[in-house]
Amino acid sequence: MLPSDFRFSQTSLQDYVDCPRRFQLRYVDAQPWPAVQSQPVLERERHLDLGTRFHRLVERHQLGMEPDTLARTVDDPQLQAWWSAYLGFDYLHTMEGERFPEFRASVDIEGHRVVVAYDLLVLRPEGNVVILDWKTHRWPPSAEWFAARMQSRLYPLVLVLAARRGVFGAVVRPEQVSLVYWLVGSSGDVVEFAYNEAQFESDLSYVGSVLRGVDRESAREEWFKTADEAQCRLCEYRSLCGRDVEIGAFDQFGIDVGNIVSDDVVLFEDVSEVGF
Amino acid sequence: MKTAQFVEGPAGSGKTTHAIEHIRSLIVDQGVRPDEILLLVPQRVLGRPYQIAFSSPDWPGGADITPVTIGGLARRSLELFWPLIAEKAGFAHPTWEPGFLTIETAQYFMAQFVNEAVETGVFDSISVTPFRIMNQTLDNLSKAAMNQFTLDEVASRLVAAWGDRHSSRPPVYRASLDLAARFRDHCLENSLLDFSLQIDLFMKDLLQEPVFERYVKRAYRHLVADNLEENFPVVADFIRWAWDMLDSALLVYDTDAGYRSFLGADPAGMHDLADLCDEVLAFQPLQSANSAILALAGEFSSRLDSATPVPAPSPANPLEAVHFSTHTFYPQMIDWTVDRISELVAGGVSPREIVVLAPFLGDSLRFSLAQGLEQRDIPVVSHRPSRAVRDEPAARTVLTLMSLAYPEWGYAPPSADIADALGQVIDGLDPARAWLLATIVYKQQSGELSSFDAIEARAQQRITYRAGERYEELRQWLVDSRDLAASNPPDVFISYLFGEVLSQPGFGYHADLDAGRVVAELVESARKFRQTLYPHGIEDWSSVSKEYVTLVRKGLLAALYVASWHAEDQDAVFVSPAYTFLMRNRQVDYQFWLDIGSSHWWERLEQPLTHPYVLSRNFPAGQIWTDDLEYAARREALRRLVVGLARRCREGIFAVAAQLGEQGYEQQGPLLLLLEQLGRQVDADGAG
Repeated sequence: MLPSDFRFSQTSLQDYVDCPRRFQLRYVDAQPWPAVQSQPVLERERHLDLGTRFHRLVERHQLGMEPDTLARTVDDPQLQAWWSAYLGFDYLHTMEGERFPEFRASVDIEGHRVVVAYDLLVLRPEGNVVILDWKTHRWPPSAEWFAARMQSRLYPLVLVLAARRGVFGAVVRPEQVSLVYWLVGSSGDVVEFAYNEAQFESDLSYVGSVLRGVDRESAREEWFKTADEAQCRLCEYRSLCGRDVEIGAFDQFGIDVGNIVSDDVVLFEDVSEVGF
Repeated sequence: MKTAQFVEGPAGSGKTTHAIEHIRSLIVDQGVRPDEILLLVPQRVLGRPYQIAFSSPDWPGGADITPVTIGGLARRSLELFWPLIAEKAGFAHPTWEPGFLTIETAQYFMAQFVNEAVETGVFDSISVTPFRIMNQTLDNLSKAAMNQFTLDEVASRLVAAWGDRHSSRPPVYRASLDLAARFRDHCLENSLLDFSLQIDLFMKDLLQEPVFERYVKRAYRHLVADNLEENFPVVADFIRWAWDMLDSALLVYDTDAGYRSFLGADPAGMHDLADLCDEVLAFQPLQSANSAILALAGEFSSRLDSATPVPAPSPANPLEAVHFSTHTFYPQMIDWTVDRISELVAGGVSPREIVVLAPFLGDSLRFSLAQGLEQRDIPVVSHRPSRAVRDEPAARTVLTLMSLAYPEWGYAPPSADIADALGQVIDGLDPARAWLLATIVYKQQSGELSSFDAIEARAQQRITYRAGERYEELRQWLVDSRDLAASNPPDVFISYLFGEVLSQPGFGYHADLDAGRVVAELVESARKFRQTLYPHGIEDWSSVSKEYVTLVRKGLLAALYVASWHAEDQDAVFVSPAYTFLMRNRQVDYQFWLDIGSSHWWERLEQPLTHPYVLSRNFPAGQIWTDDLEYAARREALRRLVVGLARRCREGIFAVAAQLGEQGYEQQGPLLLLLEQLGRQVDADGAG
């Protein structure tokens, strides 16, 4: 059984699509399994750390801090390269509109709470909304790869649904939404997806079917394992599942740094547990 | 401020429900964007009712509301606005990003200073372990921050409160505060922020920044603060700072609580916030509440503090709410408890509606209860705040195997540890065979394992070839992984050891979910250790791994927090220390109060280096902490505890005593006396 306050994210939904058993172990059972997920471990960790710092730099800039002040905290060549690219990213800087960095939207789909953390939303003066997402992948994924990801379906879908609940003060039609991935970690290109009513309906139906799948699977003691063993190369549960595969290289399949970061923003901090 | 409401009342009077509906109304009726609502709670777990409400399908969604603690808010704000304050706050390297310390990682640094100080003998006059010196010194830092005292003020308050009793204590207080100052200097030198420094920077520096003020003004238009009575004085300061920027505020206060006073909570100071509000609502217990339990809470309150009687809504016999049972020996008390729980469950009570509470929850009590209930197929979940990771067999096994993988450490584990480890990790190897194998293949002088192939055929047969094959796999992996060990930090090495060997089919931890949890905690602790102490890496990680393992073996590092509140959501009997249950803020049908004769029900933890009441804004600086004050504080703590528990019970309380306690001593603690007195009085009233 999922915790009563469980909220689906693009990461958890992608996990379910990739492998229901992984979803069960991670979110239903909250079962830690301390095997290596992908390697080299320290290189992956460093890449994630730089990705986190880059997201924070952009957020700080979007909140109004001066670039000169921010530049003083950039002490790594890789981060410097991304930061320079960001400062020269005219596509964004010339875009008019109200900015919402690290904005979290939450909607109900099929009786489940779904939460999305946007890197940046820009509400254009004419009422359009641009969703921007920073990608620090070392390799440039294709538009087809992006299109197949849960994130590409969920982000615009949740935005339209959240707008219907009055989050932006007005309804936003699907045609008014666009999703932009900026490949700052690789080619520097922009991958843009326009949105429309048909795509919205298709995404709503798709996400609904995934959530219904989770409900159906919940009746099973052990959920289905993926048939695609290549998925197991990047999954720490491989030994628990008896999948005899090598540990994958972290940059081979494209670790989604930005969304690992933004999905994990936690505002809770305990002083300490009651010491009795 | 357009509207401000202060809501107060006892537990179970509907305050949180009112607050949830208030938030719903802000969103639905007033069109407020959910992310413009700042929801402040004193402790993570107290945000649970909100999270559950926000996750329900009928909740008006759109954007996200996350309950925050003042610590969480400070951390997130400092993380974001760090470049604005780092230089002004006196950090040696203001361009470095801050490193946020958890309690555990703060202990890593403090441990170094404590070890040095202990060796000088400065703490010899008190009987306290280095681990407790470390924690109480961190506690002094936290209390200073929560009250916005300087470290000098902390020292002078503690020394003054000690009075003219024997003179060894004041130097010890000062030694603790010297450690705190050294620790703070170290943090400023290395851009490290423990909880106390986060609070200090947030309150003293960040709140003065116009950019931050503009941000708060734009980000938060409405405040909801629940369980104010459990929060720290700085929270009141923050609320006063933000007050004029807000459009509305709802402040919620539990009149019987304040359980975290010993952690620095300031119920009285929080109640003063009512003066800011234009409306004060007093909630009463719900009509549906059990009248006998309400009467019991009233009796407890008036007997322990006649100044604050709790009125019972109807004349009811409080003894109808409580069932006493006395046993001679401790195990009998446990057996009786298990029998009663079993009857309740058989009678249709959901296990989740039963809690078993004790002032402390030791291993033997926890184990006996869990075993007794599990034997009757009654699910049980227990909570303890922490225990040392080295006490877990899976963690001990991993540490033993690490010693073999790093021969350069020069630490050869005893043969018994090797036998335990082999028995743990080789599937099907019983303890006798594990011992036989260990005595043959392991020589403590060399600290190395020899090959299974080299031992006599008869011994191989006894151990079994299958186990021998696994042993060889493990041994060979340890030999082959020496480069891996040197070139990777301890957490990474343990992950490889677990994933590549111990959790593979044929090994003991394959599909062993509990071992997975314990080793995951160890990995997480090792990761935090090296990320905090060696953030820029090091060429040879072997020395870091050795340092880590040594500190864990000494018990200075790695406390496990295994039980989560998600586990507590299960339909299971909850076994917990009484205060832990109170901070869950849950109501249940039945409570079992175990060992009511124990004096621990009203004693606070002995803390020779700090003091929860003296280090409070409400305690006059310079005043001596007398025995009378201590007695009054204990009575008040006991009153809050028993009234709080009674308020969280719907059907009945089983008060269970053992005449001889766990250690075999006769027990006559104040809770037992209180209940006996109550029984006599009510009987006399009835007779009269």
